[in-house]
Order: sequence, then structure tokens, then C-alpha cells
Amino acid sequence: MRRRTFLERLMQGAVLAGAAAVPVGFNYLMAPTAKADPTRHLRPPGAPHDDRAFNAACIGCGLCGEVCPPRCIRFYRHQGGHKVNTPYIDPEQKACILCGLCMEVCPTDALVKTPRDEIRMGIAQIDRAACYPWVDKGVCGACAVVCPLGEKAIGFAFANMYRPVVKKGCVGCGQCVEVCPHPDKPIRIVDVALGTVVPQPAVPGGGAPPPAPAAGGGLLPY
Amino acid sequence: MVAPGSEDRPRQGRRPFRAQLNKLRWLVLSLVFLMLLALPFLAVYQSYVAAHAYDLMSPSEQHFYDFMAWLTGPITDNPEQDFNLVKGTTWSGTLFGLRLSDPLAVLSQIAAEHRVFTAFLLTGLIPLVATLLLGRIYCGWICPATFLYELNDNFAVVLRRLGIRLPHRRLDTRFKYLVLLVGLVLSAATGAVVTAAIYPPAIIGREIYYAVAAGGFGSGAAFFLVTLLFDLLVARRGFCRYLCPGGALYSLLGRYRLVRIQRVVGDCNDCAKCNAVCEFGLDPMRDGFGQECNNCSACIAVCPTDALVFRLTPRDQAPQGPGHLGREYKRSQALQSGEAGEGGRTEAA
Repeated sequence: MRRRTFLERLMQGAVLAGAAAVPVGFNYLMAPTAKADPTRHLRPPGAPHDDRAFNAACIGCGLCGEVCPPRCIRFYRHQGGHKVNTPYIDPEQKACILCGLCMEVCPTDALVKTPRDEIRMGIAQIDRAACYPWVDKGVCGACAVVCPLGEKAIGFAFANMYRPVVKKGCVGCGQCVEVCPHPDKPIRIVDVALGTVVPQPAVPGGGAPPPAPAAGGGLLPY
Repeated sequence: MVAPGSEDRPRQGRRPFRAQLNKLRWLVLSLVFLMLLALPFLAVYQSYVAAHAYDLMSPSEQHFYDFMAWLTGPITDNPEQDFNLVKGTTWSGTLFGLRLSDPLAVLSQIAAEHRVFTAFLLTGLIPLVATLLLGRIYCGWICPATFLYELNDNFAVVLRRLGIRLPHRRLDTRFKYLVLLVGLVLSAATGAVVTAAIYPPAIIGREIYYAVAAGGFGSGAAFFLVTLLFDLLVARRGFCRYLCPGGALYSLLGRYRLVRIQRVVGDCNDCAKCNAVCEFGLDPMRDGFGQECNNCSACIAVCPTDALVFRLTPRDQAPQGPGHLGREYKRSQALQSGEAGEGGRTEAA
């Protein structure tokens, strides 16, 4: 009999706890997790590399977005599950200018004040099978011109004025992505581990990429 | 309602200052809400000044820019810097260089992160001390959701006058402590500050910002609408009373608050207006305040004999029996003076 009352209490407790979780559950229903293109959902500068650490630290106050001068910081408003209300930057819409105001204003350790050169939002990766100068479709160099870090982060292939090559100093602000005139954005911000060049299929048999000139950039006639 | 006896002290001349506090409270609530409305517009204007070329703006943006320049021109000639003084929401923000955060934000962030970030902990200190001393004043005096919930409650009164029957259930007020506990446990388990999404003041500040500056309402707006309907159709001020995790935290912190509303039994006439007006369903007429009282002073404002006062004491009074201006007390007094040995029916109230 006592066991039965104990079990009944346990059931009641479970039901009550379940009821208490209803608001949270409702919120998950309203903002379901969606598959997101990681190159269009960068965390603001100063965020830890581990996204779970960022998510645990962020309280969703929106201060970073409020102080952002170019208003590049957006928020997961309708999607994201437990990421809801946390900030992201879509460099194809509007890119970070590395002003550092968001890191200054963030009340938590979600965005830690970091010197400009040590920010790691990602690294720019160039698809040499699409970038206009790399496929000899014209001269451009917009990405290299707009880069706030200059020579450290992006330069041109040896002896070629216009084929961009990303260097180790790139912090992933995404200015190059925003400015890139190609509709498919052959330059994207990716995880640092993925490297600065889109790996090309070894044999150009897929039919899609036209023969790109020798990677690494040799002396090419213009 | 007012006892008609001739020896009752009639209210003479001006009412005491404490009776005006409820108006002051409404002023504060409105100002906080207006501030939350204005800040996103200021932020947008600020970003236009800081990082956008006027000539490249669309005509509507230019109109907005001109309007804001006209509006803020008399206040500041350097909007880019000066508007940094006040930023954010009541969830976390900067007030003239002072960083303040909701204690619930601090607590749930600690739960989610499994460690304490001292700089953030310190931002919650002033609200924490204020709550320890003054109780749930955040709920009554600052919370932007309270502003809307009280308007919603007034709307319910209008609906009732129109003859629409609205249920008014009483649930268990302890349920919100469970919501707080479950919210913290889920924060710790999922590694996300889930209480931020179910805490109306955080939602309000955020959603106003989203709507003005970030392209439209988010999912929190729907959540808040549901809580409004809950208040309207299930229980009066139901979310604050029974569900709000922040209200639960503030109630716990304010349990031994120093500033309390108490009843002066000699002035009370048992009219029960205080009980009717109390949004939290407390029982001021029988000294039943407890930790849920948010010192909103609505009962003080409505009291016809000014029998409710603020006192500095860490504990509520024990029930004092019927008010001395009321009928019941007088009857018992008459009985006592008539036949000795009657114990006074103070308990019978």
C-alpha cells in the first residue's frame, strides 16, 4: 500500500514536471530546428569556436544586434530550436566590419573582447572553378580591395593581378562575400579547418566545372 | 462599501503620499515600456548615422532619418556616441554606463554554462539587492509585460461589463516554482538559456526590437499572445501568478523583504476593496500578503480609509482580526461590553 502511494506520488510529480515544461516545449514548437547553411550563419566576432559553448553563454538579450553599426547581426527569430534568439551574421546579406562594439557590449562571455587580428569567425574559401578571374571571365579583385585586414588576409596569385588567394590572416568577417559580384558567391566563410580553397574533383568528369587553370596560379596569359 | 457609522473617520483633505504611489508606478511602467519602444528606433537611427550614407538610403529611410534627426536634435548633437548610454532591455542592458541584468538571466546562464562568469554575475547584483530589500518590485514597477498584462486585465473588466462571462480560475501559485526549477534543469541539460524564451519581459523587449529593427516579430510574440489569452480566458493575471519563472525567483528572493505593506487594524473597515483590486489574488484585508506581494500599492491606493501602510519589517503581521471600523468588530465590542466573558469573535472573520 505504501509502495502504491509512493508510485502515485511519483506519477503526480512526473505529470506536474511535464506540465511545467509545457512553456519550454511550446517555444520549441514555435521555433523548430532547421537545417541551416553554416556559411550563412556565422557567429559574431569573439564567439568561442565551439558553438555549444556560445549557445550556453548567450542569454538572447539582443544587445549585440542593437549596437551593430552596419546592422549585420541578425537573430534566429523563428527557427533554431534551442538556438532561438541567438545572433548570427549572414555575410551574403551584410557583413561584419570588425568594429568590436558587439564584443564590448555583450554582458556574458558569449562574445569575448578579442583583438581584431585574433578574431576567428571562420576563413574565406574560394571556389576557383567559379571565381571570375580564376576562370578567366574577367578582372575583378573586389574581395581583396574591400578586405579590412588587407595584405595579411587576402592577396593575389603570383604574377596575376586579379586571382584572389586567401591567406592565414583572414578572420572571416565576410566583407569579401558581401562584395563578391558573382551570383553564386564563389567566396564563402567556412570553418577554419576546411581551408581556403574549395577542393576540386580530381578528374574533371562531373561535367560541371570547366577546366580551371592550374591551381596555385602560374604565369598565365591575360 | 464605506461603513456609514457617524464616528468613522471620514477621509479629510488630501490623501497621504503612499496613496499616490500607484499612479507613480503606472508612470514608471509606462516610461519603461516607452523606453523599450524608443530604443530600437534610436538604434536604427544610430546605425544610419554611424555606417550608412544618407544619399544611398531609400526615400523611406531618409524620411525616418530626417524625423529622428528632428526629434533628437535638441537632445544630442552626437547621436552616434550618446545613444550608447542607454541600451538593451530589462533582460540585460546598459543604463548610463551601468550594466544591469535580470537575476533570472544570471541564474539560468550559470545553469546552462555550468560555470560562473563573474562579470555577468555582477550585473545582476543591483537587481538582486533591490529584490531582497523591496520584494517583487520588478514585477510591479518595471516589468514591461506587467504593463501589458494589467492593460489586458483592464480589458477583461470591460468585457465583463459588456456581459461576456470570463472564467476566473484559481490554480496553485506554487506551480511557478516548479516552472522555474524545470526551466533551470532544462537549461542545464540542453546547454541553452531556455528560460529566456518563456519569460515575458525578456520576450517583450526582444520582440519590440525584432519588430522595429530586425525585420519582424519572432516566435516569442506568439508565445506572449498565448499568455495574454491565458490571462483572459483561464485565470486573471494567470501567467504572473502561476507560471512566470522570473516571478517565482523574485518571490523567493523577496520572502524576507524589508519593505512591506501592512494593515493598520484600527483604520480598517473590512470593505475588501483591497482584496478585489489585488492582481495577485492576495488577501490584504486579513493580513495575507506573503512572498507573492510585489509592493505595487494598488491596495493602498484603493483603500477608502488609508488603513494600509508601508512598514520596514522582515515579516508579515499575524492576522489581526476584523478592522476596528467594520461592523463585525463593533458588534463584538458591543457584545463584550454588554456581557462580560465574550472572547471577542476576532477569529470568526
